Amino acid sequence: MALNDYSGSRILIVEDEDSLAIGLEFNLSEEGYHVRIASDGKQALKYVEEDSYDLILLDVMLPYMDGFTVAEKIRDKLPQIPILMLTARTAVKDRIRGLEKGADDYLTKPFHLQELLVRIRGMLRRKKWYQTSSALSPVYRFGENEVNFENLTCRSGNKEMKLTAREAMFLRYLIDNAGRVISRKEILEKVWNLDSEVETRTIDNFVVRLRKFFEPDPSNPVYIKSVRSIGYQFEVNDISSV
Amino acid sequence: MRKRNSLIYYVTVFTLAQLAWFSLLALWITWYVTNYIMMTEVGEQVSAEFLAESTNILALIGGLVLLVVISIAMSLIFIYLTKQMNLTKLYDNFIGNVTHELKSPLSSIQLYLETMKSRKVPRSKQDEFLGLMLRDTQRLNHLINSILEISGLEQKKMAYNYDVINAQEISEQLISEAITDYRLPDTAVNWNGNTNCKCVIDQDAFRIVINNLFDNAVKYSSSQIKIDVKFTQNLKYFLMTFCDHGIGIPIKKQDKIFQKFLRIYDRESPSVKGTGLGLYWVREIIKSHGGKISVFSAGRNRGTAFTIELPIYKTAKKRYINYLLKITQKNIGRMETQNGTE
Repeated sequence: MALNDYSGSRILIVEDEDSLAIGLEFNLSEEGYHVRIASDGKQALKYVEEDSYDLILLDVMLPYMDGFTVAEKIRDKLPQIPILMLTARTAVKDRIRGLEKGADDYLTKPFHLQELLVRIRGMLRRKKWYQTSSALSPVYRFGENEVNFENLTCRSGNKEMKLTAREAMFLRYLIDNAGRVISRKEILEKVWNLDSEVETRTIDNFVVRLRKFFEPDPSNPVYIKSVRSIGYQFEVNDISSV
Repeated sequence: MRKRNSLIYYVTVFTLAQLAWFSLLALWITWYVTNYIMMTEVGEQVSAEFLAESTNILALIGGLVLLVVISIAMSLIFIYLTKQMNLTKLYDNFIGNVTHELKSPLSSIQLYLETMKSRKVPRSKQDEFLGLMLRDTQRLNHLINSILEISGLEQKKMAYNYDVINAQEISEQLISEAITDYRLPDTAVNWNGNTNCKCVIDQDAFRIVINNLFDNAVKYSSSQIKIDVKFTQNLKYFLMTFCDHGIGIPIKKQDKIFQKFLRIYDRESPSVKGTGLGLYWVREIIKSHGGKISVFSAGRNRGTAFTIELPIYKTAKKRYINYLLKITQKNIGRMETQNGTE
C-alpha cells in the first residue's frame, strides 16, 4: 500500500485492548501516519492536552471513563478535531449517542481494515477542506447572522449559539455551494462521509435546528430553502465575509 | 417493558387491580347483607323454614376465603414477575458485555489476518501477530466454555468428578498453577495456615474457582498485585480466605456481587472487561460442593476478602457428600461402559 496524501498526520488511538491497539498502530504507521496509543480515557485526555492531533480513533468501552464521555470532553476543548469511534455496540441508539456526543463517524467491531483506512482518509480530507475553507474566510455574515467557523460560534441578532463540528461543516458546505441545489445524498457523502443507506432524516433534523436559529421565520425559510424531493439550497444575496 | 418506568407502571396496574378486587368484594358483601336483611323480612312472612338454611353463610365465607387465596396468589405472581424483570434487565447488560467480549478478540484476529493478507509483514512482526491472535482465540474459547459450563451447572448436567482429597494440598497446587498462568511473580502470593483435612472436591471445578478469584484480583488491583491466602479449619469445615489488596467493593454492593450477570459500574473502577458470570459461577460451584462463599471488603481501596467454606469429609453434611460421591461413581461407570462399547 502506497503512502497517501495525508501521511504525516498525527493520530491518537484510544484503545484498552492491547492486541487491537498494536495491530492498529502497525497499520496506521504503515500508512505513514504518526501514531500514539492511549490505553484509557484519562490518558487520552492527558495526551490531547499535551499534544495536537489530526484525528482520534476512540474505542467506546474504556476503563475509568467510557468513550462517549471522552468524546464529549475532547469536543469541549477541540471542537474541530475529527473523532472516529470504534465499538462493539451495534444498537442504533448507541450509534446516535456516539454521534451526538461528538463523534464524526462510527465503525462497529469487527471492522475491515480497508474500510477503516478509507474512513480515516475521508475524515482527514474533510478536515483539510474545512480548515482551508474556513482559513480563507473564517467569519460569514448573512442577514442578521454571523458565523465564526474557527471557534464554532454564531450570532443571530442578540442570540448566541455554539455549533457542533458537524453543524459547522454542514453550514460550511451549504455556504460554499450557495445558490446551487444540493441533494441529500450529496450532503451525506460530503459532510457525513456516509452512503445513502443512512436515514436522510438526519439531515432534515440538522436543517430544522439551523433554521430555528438563523431564519427570521423558520416556517418560511429565506436562507436554507428546501427543494422538493431533492434537497436543499442555500440562498443569500448579501453574503459578506470578513 | 422497554420503558424505563415500566416497573412503576406495573406496580400501579397491580395496585389498581387489587383495589378493584377488594371494591368488588365490598360491593358483594354489601349487596349480600342488604339482600339478607330483605330476605329475612320477606321470608318470615312467607315461610319460617326459608331462613333455616345455613348454606348461604357457608357460600359467603367460602367465597371470601377463595378471594383471599386468589389475591395472595396474584401477589406471589407479581413478586415473581418483578424478579424476572430485574433479571431481564441484568441479562440485557450481560448480552452487551458478552458482545463486547466476543467482538474484541474477533476484531483483533480479523485485523491481523487482513493485515497479513494485504501487507508485507516482516517475519518478527508476523510471529508477534500470530502470538496475539492465539491469545485472542484462547480468550474466545474461555468465554464460550464458561457460558456453556454455567448452563450445564444450572441444569445439573455437569460431568461431576468428585473425589476425597486433602483440601489445602489441592488448593496450593491450583494456586501455583494460577500464578504461572497469570504470569505473576512468586512473591505476589503469600499463603499460610496448616490444616490437615479431607474434603470432597471436583478438581476441575475447583480450578475454575481459584482462577476466577485470581482473575478478579488481577482485574481489580490498580497497582501491584498482592494476594494473601489463609487456610484454617474448624470442627466441621475447611476454610480458605483469599484476600487481595485491590480496589475493594462498596459495602452496599457486597451482598449482590454473586448475582448472575451482575457487574458493578463505577467511575473509579479500572476495568470494564467481564460478563458478570465469574463470581456467580464460583458460588454455584462452591454450593454444589455443599460449601459456602462469602465476601468482605472494608470499602474503597481496602481490598477484598473471599472466604470459602467446604464441609470436611465424614464430619459434615454426610448425606449430601455421599450423594456427590455416588453420582461421580455413576458417572465414571457410565463413561467406562461407553468406552467399553466403542
